[in-house]
Amino acid sequence: MKNTFEIVFSHPSYILIAIGIFLLLFLPLIIVSEFLFFEPFMAFSIYPETALSFSLIVTLSCFSALAVSMNVYRVKLINDTRKIGSSIFGTILGASAGACSCGPIAFSIITTFGTAGSVASSFLTIYEIPIRLASIGILIMVIFVTTKSLSHECKIKS
Amino acid sequence: MILANIKALAVIGVAVAMVIGVSVSFSSYVSEFENVQDRTPQTFRTIALGSASATVTIVEVGDYQCEMCKLWFEKTRPQIIDNYVDTGKVNLIFIDMPFLGQDSLPAAVATYCADDQDKYWDYHVKLYQLQQHVDDGWANADRLSAIAFSLDLNMDVFDECMESKKHYDRVDFHKQKAKNDFGANSTPTFVIVNTAGDSEKIVGAHPYSTFEKVINSML
Repeated sequence: MKNTFEIVFSHPSYILIAIGIFLLLFLPLIIVSEFLFFEPFMAFSIYPETALSFSLIVTLSCFSALAVSMNVYRVKLINDTRKIGSSIFGTILGASAGACSCGPIAFSIITTFGTAGSVASSFLTIYEIPIRLASIGILIMVIFVTTKSLSHECKIKS
Repeated sequence: MILANIKALAVIGVAVAMVIGVSVSFSSYVSEFENVQDRTPQTFRTIALGSASATVTIVEVGDYQCEMCKLWFEKTRPQIIDNYVDTGKVNLIFIDMPFLGQDSLPAAVATYCADDQDKYWDYHVKLYQLQQHVDDGWANADRLSAIAFSLDLNMDVFDECMESKKHYDRVDFHKQKAKNDFGANSTPTFVIVNTAGDSEKIVGAHPYSTFEKVINSML
């Protein structure tokens, strides 16, 4: 497994892809979840009650960055796009949880879809932590399978 | 020829029906709008927490089922109360924007029924202290009555107020005011104003440091 990571991330472009995906996910999620504010002043706040949610966002962003960048490498190597779909699904699932607290996204959903929107929004809020854990689970599986697949492919190629 | 006439009649019939439908819905929209216009000046009233001589007012737009409002209530509000409201520098006003679930509106109405017995802020505080998940029953009719009972409210008066729905218009007007005048599309949203006419909008459950900076710049 360590070997596979070394192979993929020995290319600077994949490190950049991973950093890019991490930031693309991490920044919007901490803004939507109200950990980071830009107006009227830049402020960051985390409380003991929200520490778990924050750590899940960090974990989710890290695993998404790893899973997607490794799959991009895999796509380039063997031209198989199946697992990249799973990593994107895991990422979207994790990102959607908690995005619907009482912010503008929830407001738009509820005002557009009424009761159904309210039910969906409260579901995503109530089950934020289990959904994020499930999506992290999916991403861990994707990373594991991708690593196995890559080490197998690399052995064949070498 | 007969078929062509039937077709023409059908087209005319549908057109007439559409015109009637649009006219009816438009007139009902207009009358509804006029009703809102008629009732708003009498019903809009807010209850301020603080001193009458305070030069700064914080207007909070919130929903009693909003978890970020609860977070602000627990983490930031106590420091604002201690440092600015209790010292007579700042007033706090709450504007209802119940949108998260079906229990949000009755919860907001219940605060005004409590206000009829001069317990608005006590009820407000109690609601945030007891808040759980959206529409999971923590703010249903029985629980709202139980909260009123725990605050020693006259239950006959409170129950009659809740059943009469006399404060629904008031909450509805607050909601419109929050959206139209304060541009709120999420909760909590804050508008901080001073007597000189300066104002600053803060969206989200910001930490105390943000409020401290804004308030100090306005005092």
